[in-house]
Amino acid sequence: MSTVWTKRLLVLLGLVAILATVAACAAPTAPPPQVVKETVVVAGPTKIVEATKIVEATKIVEVPKVVTATPPPAKVQDTFIFGAQGEPVCLDPAIITDGISGRVINQIFEGLVKFDKDTTNVVPSLAEKWTTSDDGKVWTFTLRKGVKFHDGTDFNADAVVKNFDYWQNTKNPAHAAQVKAGQTYEYFEAQFGGFDNDSIFAKIEAVDPTTVKFTLKEPQGPFLNNLAMFVFVFWSPPALEKAPVECANRKPVGTGPYKFVEWKANEQVTLEAFADYWDKANAPKMKKVVIRNIPNNSARLLALSAGEIHGMEGLEPRDVAAVKGNPKFKLILRPANTTGYVAFNYKVKEFQNLKVRQAFAQAINKKPIVDSFFGGTGQVANQFQPPALWGYNKDLKDWTYDAAVAKKLLADAGFPNGISKVTFDGKEVPLEFWYMPVSRPYYPNPKDIATAIAADWAKAGINVTLQTVDWATYLDKRKNGLLPLYMLGWTGDNGDPDNFVCYFFCMDAKDTPIAREGFVADKEVSDLLKKAAVTTKQADRAPMYQKAEQLIRDRVLRVFIANNQPPLAFTANVDGYIPNPTGTEFFNTVVVK
Amino acid sequence: MLRYVIKRVLTIVPVILGVSILVFGFIRVIPGDVATVMLGERATPENVARIREQLGLTKPLYEQYLIFMGNALRGDLGTSVLRGEPVTQEIIRRFPATIELTLGAILIALVVGIPAGIISAVRRGTWFDSLSMLVALTGVSMPIFWLGLMLILLFSVFLHILPTGARLDGATRFEPITNLLLLDSLLKGNIGIFFQTLRHLALPAIALGTIPMAIIARMTRSAMLEVLNQDYIRTAHAKGLKERAVVINHALRNAWLPVITVVGLQVGRLLSGAILTETVFSWPGIGRWLVDAIYARDFPIVQGVTLFIAIIFVGVNLVVDILYAWVDPRIKFE
Repeated sequence: MSTVWTKRLLVLLGLVAILATVAACAAPTAPPPQVVKETVVVAGPTKIVEATKIVEATKIVEVPKVVTATPPPAKVQDTFIFGAQGEPVCLDPAIITDGISGRVINQIFEGLVKFDKDTTNVVPSLAEKWTTSDDGKVWTFTLRKGVKFHDGTDFNADAVVKNFDYWQNTKNPAHAAQVKAGQTYEYFEAQFGGFDNDSIFAKIEAVDPTTVKFTLKEPQGPFLNNLAMFVFVFWSPPALEKAPVECANRKPVGTGPYKFVEWKANEQVTLEAFADYWDKANAPKMKKVVIRNIPNNSARLLALSAGEIHGMEGLEPRDVAAVKGNPKFKLILRPANTTGYVAFNYKVKEFQNLKVRQAFAQAINKKPIVDSFFGGTGQVANQFQPPALWGYNKDLKDWTYDAAVAKKLLADAGFPNGISKVTFDGKEVPLEFWYMPVSRPYYPNPKDIATAIAADWAKAGINVTLQTVDWATYLDKRKNGLLPLYMLGWTGDNGDPDNFVCYFFCMDAKDTPIAREGFVADKEVSDLLKKAAVTTKQADRAPMYQKAEQLIRDRVLRVFIANNQPPLAFTANVDGYIPNPTGTEFFNTVVVK
Repeated sequence: MLRYVIKRVLTIVPVILGVSILVFGFIRVIPGDVATVMLGERATPENVARIREQLGLTKPLYEQYLIFMGNALRGDLGTSVLRGEPVTQEIIRRFPATIELTLGAILIALVVGIPAGIISAVRRGTWFDSLSMLVALTGVSMPIFWLGLMLILLFSVFLHILPTGARLDGATRFEPITNLLLLDSLLKGNIGIFFQTLRHLALPAIALGTIPMAIIARMTRSAMLEVLNQDYIRTAHAKGLKERAVVINHALRNAWLPVITVVGLQVGRLLSGAILTETVFSWPGIGRWLVDAIYARDFPIVQGVTLFIAIIFVGVNLVVDILYAWVDPRIKFE
C-alpha cells in the first residue's frame, strides 16, 4: 500500500493541531491579521466563512478598527471579579433569602442601619440617628440628607414608607403581583410578625422628608438587628413601580455604592461604580464589580489560581491549608455565625429519657471531628449561639467526652447492652442517624462527620445506621418530624440571639411541640426566650439568653457540634475585604492592586 | 422520500406525548416538594401550603397536565417557580450556548476522529493503529470531569494561554443578537469578541469532544476495515487505482453509514446538554440549568426543557435518517 496518502493526512492533522495552538496562544496578545485569517480557515465550516463575508460587505469600515483594538479584556485593576458558588435567585431584596443574591444586593441597596464591619453591631446607614420611646414601641429615625437613588430619585422618608408598604401590605400592587407569581416575603414575615394586620407595625409615618416614625404594637427586642438585615433595603420607588414581575428582568435600583448593569443568566452579574454615591469617604474604589457564577469548587479555585477572579467563596476544607500556605493567595475567615447540631426526635421513646440524651452527648468526641473535617476553620460548639453573639454564655461548661460514662448512663437508663433499636412513633425500628446530602457552612462534609460521630457512638454501645436522601426530601422529612436522629444546622440572619435560639425552641401560643424541631417541647426554655424577644434593652436580654443556653445544655435538648468560620480566598493583590458574620459584605472598600 | 419524511415526522408525535407524560408523572411522584425547597430550612407549614396553592399543585394531576400541554402547544412552557422566568424564553436564551459547545466538540471529534479512524484501518497493525486505538480507548473511558480540571490546570493555571471557563472574560461586555457568540461577533464585526469566544470555547470543546472523538475513531476504523476486506476493493486495487482513490472513492463512501449513525447519536446527546462539562467550565448551557432545576424541584423548567430535549433528539435522528438516503441512494424508504 502506498503510504503517501496517509502521510499527507498525518501532516494535515499536525498542521491543524499547530494552527489551533497558534490561534490559542496568539489570541491573548493582539493577534496579527494573518493569524486571524488562518484561524478562520481552520475553524471554518463554510457557514462561518460566509458570515465573515457578509460582515465585510455591510460593515467594511469597522473591521480594521476592531482588529487593531483586540483583545478587549479590560484592565483587571478596574474590576473586582468575585467567584460565587451559584446563581442569584432574584435581585429584589425583599423576596430573597439566599446569600448569593444577597451578595449582589448588598452592593446595590442600602437600608436604615447596617452591621458594622466584621461584627453584628448595628450602626447608621441611610439613617443618621434614632431614638426609642421608653416603652420600646416608638422608634424615630432621622434620615441622611442629599442621598440619591441610582435613577436620580431623592431618598427621603416617603421612599422608606413606600418600601415598607411594598413589604407588608398585601394589597400593594407590586407586593400582590409577586405573591401571585409564587414569591414570598419570607424574611419580612419571619422578622416582623407577618403582613397587614399581623405585622408588628401599628403605624409607619413620614413625619417630614428626613424623619420616619415607626410605632410598634409590641416592643421587639431584635428590632434594630432586623432592620440591619440585607433584605430590608430600599428600592427607588419609581423604579419599583416600573419593574417587571419576573425576577430575571427586575432591574434593581438602590442607593448603594455600585449600580446594576446586567445579569447574564448562569454566567455573571455586572455592577458599575455609582458616581453620586453619598458616602464620599467610602466611595467605591473599583470601577466595576463582576460576580461570576462558577458552580464547581475546584474549578473556582483554578480560576482564582489563573487570576481570572480575585476572590471566591466555597473553598473546600481540603484546600484551605494550600491556600493559606501560598503567597499568591490570601485566606480570610468569616467570623462564625453558624452552628451544626445533632437533633433528637422526641417521638423516639428512648430520647425522652435525659440519661439517654446525655449518653449521646458524652459519647461524641467533638474536638478531633472539628479538627479533621472543617479544614482548620471550625470551632467546637457547646451551645447554640456562636461566640460572636452577645447572648453567648461564656461560663457554660460542655459535656465532657467519656465513652465509659456514656455506657454507664445507658445502663442506668435501662440499656445495659447499648442501643441499636428504638421505639419511634410506637414502632420498634433500627436507630437511623440522618446526615445531610449537601455541604453547608455548618457541616462542610456531612457524610464524613456523620461517620465519625457514629464511630464515636459505637464505642459507647450506640449503634446507628447512617441514612440520607436528596436535600429536598431531607428538609421535607425534617419539617414533618420524620427523622429520628439527624444532623442540621443554622446560619444566623441578623446577629441577634433570638434568631438563633427562639426559632428552634419557642413554641406557639398553645405550647404545641414543634414537629419541625423533632417535637421538642420545653416550656421553661420557650417562655424565657419569648420574654427575651419582647424586651428591648440588650443588657436585660443577654442574661436571659445565657440562662436559656444553660437550660438547653443541662437538659441536653440538642447536641451542638461546631461553629464554622467560612473561608474566603483572594488573590494576594486584593485589599480591603471585610468579612461579616452575617455575610453582609460590602465591596466598596475592596481594592485590586 | 417526501412521504417518508412526513411519515417520520408524524411518528414523532406519540414519542413526544409519551415523553411529556413520563416527565410530568415522574417529577410529581418523586418525594420532596417544591414549596419546601423554596423555603429551605425556614419552611413553615402555612407558607408551604400557600406556595403549593399558588403554584397550582393542589389541582388534580390530569388537570395540571392538560394545562401544561395546552400551553406547551402554544409555545408557552410555563414560568420558573424559583425565578419567575418564562421557560420558553430562557431556552431560546440558553440553548445557543449549548449549540456552540456541541458544534465545537463535534468539529474536534470529526476533524481528529475520522482521519485517525481511516489511517488506523488503512494501516492496520502498525504503531499508528495501536497508538490511536489506545488513545481512543483512553478517551472513551476518560471521566470528563477530571479531564476538564486537568485541561484547566495545564492550559489556564500553568501555561496561562486559555481561560478556565465561561463564554467571555468577566470584564467584557457584549450585547449578543442570537446568543451564538461566534456568529454574533461576526455579525457585529467585532473580531476581538470572536477570538475571545474561540479561546473560551477551546477547552470545553476539547473536553466534551474527547469521548465522541474516540467513539467516532473506533467506529470509522471498524467500518473501514469491513469495507476494505470486500472483493470490490481488491478489484479496485487490481485495476491499478491509486491508494487514495481506493480509500476515498470506494471504501470511505461505503463506510459512511455507521459513522453517520454514531455522529448523529453523539450530536443528539451533546445537544441535550453536557452537564459535567458545563459545570466544570461554568458554561451557561441548558444541561446545567436542567440539573439545577431538578435539584430545586422547579417543575416548569424540568418539564419544559426535557420536552425540548426530546424534540431535539428526535429531530436529530430524523436528519440522520434523511442523510442515509442522501449518502446511499440504494436505501429505499418503505
